[in-house]
Amino acid sequence: MSTETAKKEIDHEDFDPKGTLALILLYFVILAILWIFMYFIEFLGNDLTVIG
Amino acid sequence: MHIHNYEKIWLVLAMLLIVAFISTVAYGATAMGVDMISDDEETINPDALDEDQRFAEPRVEQVGENEYEAYVVALQFAFQPDPIEVPAGSTVTFYVTSRDVIHGFEVVGTNANVMVVPGEVSTFTVEFNEAGEYGVLCNEYCGDGHHVMEGSVVVVPEEEYDGGDQ
Repeated sequence: MSTETAKKEIDHEDFDPKGTLALILLYFVILAILWIFMYFIEFLGNDLTVIG
Repeated sequence: MHIHNYEKIWLVLAMLLIVAFISTVAYGATAMGVDMISDDEETINPDALDEDQRFAEPRVEQVGENEYEAYVVALQFAFQPDPIEVPAGSTVTFYVTSRDVIHGFEVVGTNANVMVVPGEVSTFTVEFNEAGEYGVLCNEYCGDGHHVMEGSVVVVPEEEYDGGDQ
């Protein structure tokens, strides 16, 4: 007994991984915020900073 | 090779992120003046610190209107002088060396943190804006008394400063 599944060929551009894009953008935003926090607040705000 | 549009987006974003990381560090180094600990001091003989102009008598010395130099010797298991006394609103250059083994000189909770290597003079400059007290500790294992090796930097109000001598 065989089942017949409908197959549809799609082109490279026809599939947009929207979820993956959203996830990557979210990671990107998190990374950017963490970097700003780490560098400008934790590091530069952590006086005494070596200046010479 | 064909690259999907979405892939182009995240490739470009990843590149931009790297550029942004590098530019913030460059911004810190130029606009904010953040510097590295330099190694351009001459080496000295750690066994003859008593004959060294700077380290025979560990001290804080005034070298300009609001500029001071602190000559600090780290040894098992203390820092000299202790406390290191400086006035608020001053720029202080630390010269730190060791007479025995490798130590660390970390002003606790700040970015002022150097290794102290016998024969080398670790040099760095910081600004003390407000009066207060900082702990200093050794963060390189230096022997069985390592955990009790500590010192302090006392920042006194400018008008109360008496030269830093004990």
